[in-house]
Amino acid sequence: MENAWLIPLFPLVSFLFLLLFGKKLKEASAFVGILLTLASLVYSILVLIERFSESTFKAEAVWLTIGNLELTAGFEVNQLNALMLVIVSLVSFLVHTYSKGYMHGDERFPVFYAYLGLFTFAMLGLVISPNLLQTYIFWELVGVGSFLLIGFYFYKESAKAAAKKAFIMTRIGDVGLLIGMILLFWQTGSFEYDEIFAAVEEGAISGTMITLTAILIFIGAVGKSGQFPLHTWLPDAMEGPTPVSALIHAATMVAAGVYLVASLFPLFNASETAMLTVAIIGAFTAIFAATIGLVQTDIKRVLAFSTVSQLGYMMLALGSAGYVAGVFHLMTHAFFKALLFLAAGSVIHAVHTQDIEKMGGLWKRLSFTGPLFLIGTLAISGVPLFSGFFSKDEILIAAWANGNYPLFWLAVIAAFFTAFYMFRLFFMIFSGEARSEMKNVHESPSVMTMPMVVLAVLAVVAGYVNTPWFGTFLGDWLVEGNEALGHGHIEGPGWIMIVATVVSLLGILLAWMMYSKKSISRDWLSSRAPLAYGIVKNKYYIDEIYNQSIVFGAKAISLFLRFIEVFLVEGLVKLTTAAVQGLGKTGAKIQNGQVQTYGTIAFVGLAVLIVIYALTGGYL
Amino acid sequence: MTLTGEFFAFMSLALVAVIGGVLLLNLTKVIHMVVALVFTFVSIAGIYVLLSAEFLAVIQVMIYSGAITIMMLFGIMLTRHHGDDAEPKGGMLRKLALLLGVLGFGAAVYFGIYDLDFQAVPNTLHENNTEQIGVSLFSHYIIPFELTSVILLAALVGAIVLARKDDEKEGDQE
Amino acid sequence: MSSVPVSAYLALALILFCIGLYGALTKKNTVIVLISIELMLNAVNINLVTFSKYGVNPSITGQVFALFSIAVAAAEVAVGLAILISLYRNRRTVNIDEMNQLKN
Repeated sequence: MENAWLIPLFPLVSFLFLLLFGKKLKEASAFVGILLTLASLVYSILVLIERFSESTFKAEAVWLTIGNLELTAGFEVNQLNALMLVIVSLVSFLVHTYSKGYMHGDERFPVFYAYLGLFTFAMLGLVISPNLLQTYIFWELVGVGSFLLIGFYFYKESAKAAAKKAFIMTRIGDVGLLIGMILLFWQTGSFEYDEIFAAVEEGAISGTMITLTAILIFIGAVGKSGQFPLHTWLPDAMEGPTPVSALIHAATMVAAGVYLVASLFPLFNASETAMLTVAIIGAFTAIFAATIGLVQTDIKRVLAFSTVSQLGYMMLALGSAGYVAGVFHLMTHAFFKALLFLAAGSVIHAVHTQDIEKMGGLWKRLSFTGPLFLIGTLAISGVPLFSGFFSKDEILIAAWANGNYPLFWLAVIAAFFTAFYMFRLFFMIFSGEARSEMKNVHESPSVMTMPMVVLAVLAVVAGYVNTPWFGTFLGDWLVEGNEALGHGHIEGPGWIMIVATVVSLLGILLAWMMYSKKSISRDWLSSRAPLAYGIVKNKYYIDEIYNQSIVFGAKAISLFLRFIEVFLVEGLVKLTTAAVQGLGKTGAKIQNGQVQTYGTIAFVGLAVLIVIYALTGGYL
Repeated sequence: MTLTGEFFAFMSLALVAVIGGVLLLNLTKVIHMVVALVFTFVSIAGIYVLLSAEFLAVIQVMIYSGAITIMMLFGIMLTRHHGDDAEPKGGMLRKLALLLGVLGFGAAVYFGIYDLDFQAVPNTLHENNTEQIGVSLFSHYIIPFELTSVILLAALVGAIVLARKDDEKEGDQE
Repeated sequence: MSSVPVSAYLALALILFCIGLYGALTKKNTVIVLISIELMLNAVNINLVTFSKYGVNPSITGQVFALFSIAVAAAEVAVGLAILISLYRNRRTVNIDEMNQLKN
């Protein structure tokens, strides 16, 4: 555990190595990336196992000394960190493996692996940071990795735009995080999590200030985790290669926001308002994104909105004091959403389109991907016995126990929608007849299916580490030795589980009737409420609203600034260049190589000096 | 200032010297220029006489008026000089600047020297002038004198090498 | 004592020096440039001899220096003319404004 700092270094080595030698290695660079992430994974698992028996380990070194103020850098292995290490390195390893098949033949194959290494390094560094400052540094690095990977197909206009959008939207959140961080530092004089929590506990910070900082930091989490209203970048980020979507925009980076809130949980917990804000934003995002997911036709976009929705769930859990529920769902979601994305990537790989309207009847042709996709779908829908069921159940209980009944019902409806749109997706892809001509449909190579199998197994069994039936092992462990995080398991009425099961089964049934059995017309809703359908279809026009308001304002300002630039700054610049150019041209003319010219200049200079001396009073 | 023979001699010699210089600037043919300069050199020799430097005056006539002028004439004859009258193009600005510079320099220096007068000290330079130079040269200035011989030798060798090398090159070309 | 003031000699030297300088920097023919330089050296010699007689501390030294100066000038003319001739053989001209190898 003392050497846990090595874990992020393996991917960093991979990144640097591939940066330097990637061109020569070509596709062999995959092995470098895979091996090094495997090292990280093995080490993470060792650290996790060690963490079961030992207490939190923390090591720090002084980084900067400013006056009597010391900034430290180091790492910390507590329960949450150890768990996150395993999740991140596991998904990263599987995605590395998967990409070997998916990205096969790509020209910039080594670059892709280098970027993956950079991102993994940043993400692992993020989860073991012991203080806010270090977290922030890695937070931004993760953003860079995400930017690079979304824009990987930079020759595509849309990918370029999506990368920029992701970078800018998350930057809005980051500003909030930065301000919150600075406020906290101002109040407590430290970036250390421990010292901040101690200060909060002692009441060294006023209540308003806690609320303010917590909400500011939450804004950072909103940006990163794609919560309303900064969610719009996440669906667009699907322009990146699908393995990237699985790694970054499903399992790890977007979970960073949730992770941030979770690791600052004692701070949030000290403020009612902040908690309520988190819960409301989470619940609203969950239902909001779920409704959009109902009508999307791009396979990856559906999954993207589903991710946004699930992240909303996690936020709701955290905001309802369900620390364990949030982290638990973060873990299970990482597994089944990564599985879904990889499976979606496999489908795309097979049929070369992302439009589900054009798919159909793939069940027989993709005999391996189909069942795997089904497992992921069942898990996310919260069908009993799958991992999503247990974690979602925890969240619902937490929301109920906290007394947020409206939010609870919102979450239930969102669960219904989730089951519905996920199975809509499933049926449209796999059941029925092919809706367009599909040529060369073939199953993916085993290098792609094996990671999916691993994830599928985890998507099924990961839930059993924390169930009301077999003991809440994970929850107890997570909160061990830390009262501020609440209880390992929150007791809730037993009917909640039944309600959750019923709504998810209802959602599946409806989807089956509409899209597989076709006993209900698909256009039933869109023909009855075209207005609502249109609004949802266009994602509530959020992008358009942003375009009309913020982008327009920014454009007006930039136009004004451009005039200043053109007439004022450029004028000055041109004047300067003209002067310099004139001087240079004169100088060049004088440099004509004739001794007499040189002599003349030298002598005239001397004469001027002498005359000046004479006029100013004699010779020196 | 009294009008003495010395004054008249100085004035006439100076006039000839300056006229020679001005002719150097204004004549068009190269040969004429060189001949004009001979006047200047000879009148400078006269000035030397006025300044009790008879030996130098003789040397001046021999070296400048004789040797250097003849060498220059050889140099002119060995090279071609048609169509040299055309002044270099675009040189007007340079000439003007130079003229101003020279005039400014002259004025400034003249401003420094015009009322310069040292306490006249009786001296014996005019008595046995050549002997005095000889004694001084071969006793006090013997090392610079020897060095001068080295310089002249170097100049001699250098001049020969420069001329001969090109002869061979020209021979190769032809 | 003397009817000709020392400044008169110095002024003559100054005028000749200025003429030589102007000639050296404006004349197109390299031979004339060389001669102009000789004229400047002569002007300096006049100064040396003048100070040798009318200076603060009259002595024969000034004349000896003038002698050295003449010797060096003679050597300079010899080398200068040799360079001039070799240049002429290479470029077929004695015009100084065509000798601009410094530019390259």
